[in-house]
Amino acid sequence: MQRERAKPLLGTIVSIRASFGDVAEADAAIAEAFAEIRHVHRLMSFHDPQSDVSRINREALFAPVFVGPATFEVLTWAQRLALASDGAFDVTAAGMAVKAGALPAPSSPFEPRPAASWRDIELIEEMSAVLIHKPLWIDLGGVAKGYAVDRAMAVLKARGAQGAVVNAGGDLAVQGPDVEPVWLRGPDSALIELGQGALASSGDEEADRRAPGVHLDMRNRRRTPSGRFVSVVADTCLVADALTKVVMIDGEAAGPLLESLGATAFLSEAQWPWRQLGMAA
Amino acid sequence: MRSRLILLPLASLLTAPPAAYATTYLTTEQAQTLMFPGAQLTPDFRVLTDAQAAAIRKDSGVDVLSKELKAWRASTGGWFILDRVVGKHEFITFALALEANGAVKDVEILDYRESYGDQVRGQAWRAQFLGKQHGAPVKLGQDIRNISGATLSSKHVTDGVRRLLSTWALVLAPHAA
Repeated sequence: MQRERAKPLLGTIVSIRASFGDVAEADAAIAEAFAEIRHVHRLMSFHDPQSDVSRINREALFAPVFVGPATFEVLTWAQRLALASDGAFDVTAAGMAVKAGALPAPSSPFEPRPAASWRDIELIEEMSAVLIHKPLWIDLGGVAKGYAVDRAMAVLKARGAQGAVVNAGGDLAVQGPDVEPVWLRGPDSALIELGQGALASSGDEEADRRAPGVHLDMRNRRRTPSGRFVSVVADTCLVADALTKVVMIDGEAAGPLLESLGATAFLSEAQWPWRQLGMAA
Repeated sequence: MRSRLILLPLASLLTAPPAAYATTYLTTEQAQTLMFPGAQLTPDFRVLTDAQAAAIRKDSGVDVLSKELKAWRASTGGWFILDRVVGKHEFITFALALEANGAVKDVEILDYRESYGDQVRGQAWRAQFLGKQHGAPVKLGQDIRNISGATLSSKHVTDGVRRLLSTWALVLAPHAA
C-alpha cells in the first residue's frame, strides 16, 4: 500500500511517497526518512547559527572547525566537483550571492574577499575538519537538498520500501519498480519519465527576478543567460542538484563533465528547443 | 536509471500552465491519528477577538487572515490545530501538533492546491496530448504527481506555524488571558 506525506523542510515542501506492506511500516519508515532530512537541514542550513555551515563561516578562518561526517562528505564531494568543473561549481559563491541580495549576510567577524574561491578551502580528513585560508563564506544550498533527498531515500530502501519518490521542492529521487512521470515546469514545459535515479532543476525565473545573478559564475562574475532552464538526471540527487548549477553556467560546454558523472541534462533556453547533454538517456 | 524526455508543445499555445496541481496527503482525521496516536481529541474551536488578532500579529509579525481557530485539545496533553495559508499561487492546508507546553511536536501538510486565476483547463484541452507522444500515452493532470522546476517555498507555512505559536501563547495556553 502507498502512503504520501509532506512537510515544510529545507525551505520548501518535501513530499515522500512510498509503498510498503502495511500502514504502520510505511508511517514508521516515512517518519524516519523525514527525520534524516531534518538532520541534514540542521547541519547544513545557511541561516541557522548552530549549523556546521554557520560555524565554518564564523570560525574556520581562525582554526579548523570540526564538522560531522555528513557535512564532511558533502564538502569533499563539492570540492571534487569544483575541481572537475574548473570552478563552475563553487560553494564559496555565497559571498557573491549575499552581495546580490540572494542570501542574508551570515553573522561573521569577517567579510569574504572577492578573490577567494573553493581553492582556499582545506579539508582535513583525519580531523573531519574544515579550515579556510582566505576570508570566505560557504553555502551548501546548491547540494544540501539533493543530499537530503538521497539520505531519505536510503532510509526508505533500508526499511524495505517497494517503491518510493522523495521530492524536495523539485529535487527528487525515484526508486523502482514504477517509472514516474515528472513535469518539468520551466518557461517551456516538458515531461520526463524517470525510472531509478534522481532529477533536479534550476532556472527558476521567479528566483532570478527577486535576486538577479543568483546563478553566478565565480570565475568571471558573469550572470547566467536569462531564460535558461536546466534539468539534470543522475544516479543520485546530490549529483543532479550540483550539476544543475554547472549546466546553468556552462551550458553545452558541460557535456563532457555530465558524461563523466553518468548524468544527462535537458537544457531549455529562450530561443532554442530542448537540448539533451551528457550521457544518453 | 533511465529517462525519456517527451516535449509538450506548450510554446505554441498562448496561455500559461496546464492543469493546476492539487494533492491531498492526509484528511484531518488521518493527521490527528498520526500526530496524536492513541489520544482522544476534543474540539475546542475559538473565534479570535480583534484584540487577540492584533496581539498575535504583533507578537509573531504575521498577519491574522482568519479569526477562526480550529483547535482540538488532546487527552494526552497538547493541541492539534488545523490552519490554511495562501501563497502567491497556492492554498496549503496544514496541521500543527503542539506539546502541552506549546512546543512544536510536528507539522504535516494536509492539502496542497495551486490556483491560477485564468484557469480553464478541461478534458478537451488535455485530450490533444493523449496518445501523441512516443511510447505509451501519458494522461496529464491526474497522473503527473511529480513536479520539478517551479518555485515551492515553505515560507507561508512556517510563517503560519509562527503565528499559531503566538496564538497558543496568547489564547490557548493555561496562563493565557
